[in-house]
Amino acid sequence: MDASDIEALVIDRPEDGMFKVHADIYRSEEIFELEQKYIFEGGWVFLGLDCQAPEPHDFFTTHIGRQSVIVSRDKDGTLHGLINACRHRGALVCHTAAGNARTHLCPYHGWTYDSAGNNTAVTAHDRGAHGAGFDAEDHGLRRIPRFESYRGFLFGSLNPDVPPLSAYLGETTVFIDLVVDQGPDGLELVPGTVHYTYRGNWKLQIENSADIYHFMPTHETLLRIVNARAADDAAASAYRHRKEGSVTRGSMCFPNGHNAMFGGGDNIRARPLYRELDRLRERVGAVRAKWMLYTRNVLYFPNMQLLENASLQIRVNRPVSASRTDIVTYCIAPRGESDEARELRVRQYEEFFNPSGLATPDDTAIFEDIQAAAGADAVDWNQGYMRGMGTVSREPIAEARELGLNPVTSVAGAPSLGDETILHGPIRAWRDRLKAALSSEDRRSLRYGSAAAE
Amino acid sequence: MTAGDGHAEVVALLHREALYLDEQRWDDWLALYADDVEYWVPAWKSEHEATTDPRREISLIYLNSRARLEERIARIRSGRSAANLVLPRTAHAISNVLIGTETAETVDVRCLCITHIYDPKRRQEYRTVARHTLGLVRLGEEWRIRSKKVVVLNDNLRTKLDFYML
Repeated sequence: MDASDIEALVIDRPEDGMFKVHADIYRSEEIFELEQKYIFEGGWVFLGLDCQAPEPHDFFTTHIGRQSVIVSRDKDGTLHGLINACRHRGALVCHTAAGNARTHLCPYHGWTYDSAGNNTAVTAHDRGAHGAGFDAEDHGLRRIPRFESYRGFLFGSLNPDVPPLSAYLGETTVFIDLVVDQGPDGLELVPGTVHYTYRGNWKLQIENSADIYHFMPTHETLLRIVNARAADDAAASAYRHRKEGSVTRGSMCFPNGHNAMFGGGDNIRARPLYRELDRLRERVGAVRAKWMLYTRNVLYFPNMQLLENASLQIRVNRPVSASRTDIVTYCIAPRGESDEARELRVRQYEEFFNPSGLATPDDTAIFEDIQAAAGADAVDWNQGYMRGMGTVSREPIAEARELGLNPVTSVAGAPSLGDETILHGPIRAWRDRLKAALSSEDRRSLRYGSAAAE
Repeated sequence: MTAGDGHAEVVALLHREALYLDEQRWDDWLALYADDVEYWVPAWKSEHEATTDPRREISLIYLNSRARLEERIARIRSGRSAANLVLPRTAHAISNVLIGTETAETVDVRCLCITHIYDPKRRQEYRTVARHTLGLVRLGEEWRIRSKKVVVLNDNLRTKLDFYML
C-alpha cells in the first residue's frame, strides 16, 4: 500500500459538495497496521492527567499505540514518561493501573528502577563478567521520546520528530481551558474508571461523538425517559424538553485532525455548574461561562475526547485491531465541588456516558452493527459525510470568533442541520499523515528507534 | 451463616428473581422490588477496590427507586434501543448463599451470581460474574428487595451492561 492507495480511499471535493470515505478505512487490517505505526505510534497521543499521579513516586500505566508505558512522578515531583519494559530482557516492570512506588522491581531477573526511571540495581552486576559493551550502556528505562503537558493533560510521542505539543494542539487548548477553569482550584478525577470494548473500528467512536445527526434517532429512548420524569424536576436532565428552535449546534475543524462539536440551548439548570453560574461569570467572564455550559464534544486526534453535555468526560480510545477498540473513560469535575453538584454530576454521567447507562450502549451496539454490515466490497462508499457542505465556512463563524478561534472550517445551525463536515477534519488528517509517511524517502525518521518500515 | 431450612423463602426469592430474568418476565421481576429500592453496581477504582460512595464516586449503575428500573424495562420494550433490539438468552446461576444480619422484618443475604449470556444476533456468548448483596424486607407474607448491590468482577464491558445481565 502506498500514498496513492491512501489518497484513493477518500473522495474530497468540497467544490462539488462531495466527500466520501471508503469502508476499507474501517475494516482493513493492513490500514490498521499503518495507523498504529504512523499515527498512534508516530505522533502525539493523550496519556492521562497529572492528577492521576499527584504525589512523589505515584505512577500510572497506559499505552501509546501497542506500547505499554508508565507515567511516574519522581521524588522531586517531576513527571517522567517511560517505556514499561525492563532493559534486561523486556519484561513488564509496572503491573498495576496505578500506584505509589519508590522503586520498580522487574520480577524476572530483579533489575530495579527508581521513580525517575533510572536503573538502581543490576542484580549481581559485579559478578556478571560483562564485557565493556554492557557497562557502556545506560540501563535506565527507555524514555518516551516526547512527553509534554498542557495544564495537566499529558501527551506523549514515540516519534521524536514531531512539533512541540503546543503547535500540535494549536487553538484547541481553549477547550481544555474551558474545562480546567470551571473551578477556582482546577479539576480532579472523580474516582471510578469505566472500561468497555466493542468489535468495531476506533474511528466509529470518534466520529459518533461529533455526530449531531444521530442524536435524536439513536437516543430516542433516553429522551423519552428524561422527558417523562417529573415535570417539576428541573434538574432531571440536560436534555429534558429539548426543542428544535431553542437549541443550536455547530462544529469546527482544526489543523491536525482535532474538531469540536458545540451548542447551547439545553437545560443548563441540570448542569452541576449552574448553581455556580454567577461566581463563574465573575471569574471567567460571560462568554467563557456560557461556553462552559455549552455542550462541547472535542476530539484531540487521534485518541482522546473531552466531552461535556450532561456531565464531563475524558474518553480515551485504544485500537486493538481494525475491528476491535478498547475504551477507558474518566469523569472529571471541578476540584472540591459541593456534594449536591457532585451527586448530580455522577448520576448524569452514569446515565448518559456509561456503557451501563441509557445512551452509550445504543452507540456501541451500532458500531458493532456497522462493522458487521461492512462484510465485503459490496459496502464501499457510505454517504454520511456530506451534510453541511452547502453552508460550511472557511471564515470563522461568530461562535468561533467570540473565543478568538480561527478554525479551518466551521458551521452552526439548528440540531436538524446535523452537520457532517466536522468529520472531514479527522479524515483529512488521517489521510495526510499516512500519505506523508508512505511517501517519505526515509521512513526510519517516522519511527522510533527501530528499522525501516518496509 | 449458610442458608439453612429456615431460610428457604430467602433462597427461593433469589432463585425466582433469576428465573424471571431468564424468562424475561419483567413485570414479575419488578414485583420483587420495593418502591424505594436502592439498586447499585459500583465501578472499580483499582484492581481490587470498588467505589464505595455512590454520591461522590462513579458507579456503573446507581438507581434509587423502582421507577428507575421500570424506565429500563420500557426502554427495552420500546423496540427503539439499538442495544436491545435482540435480547440475549440468559441463565443466572446463583450460588454461595450466605445469610447475614436478620430481624423479624429484614434479612441481608449475599450470593454469587454467574450470568451466562448468549447473543443470538452475533452468535457469541459472554458472562457476567458478580457478587450480590441484597437487603430484603418483609411486606406481609412476602419478602421484597429493598437494596441490591452488585459488584461485577469482569468489568471490561462488551458494549453494554444492563439489569438483565446481572
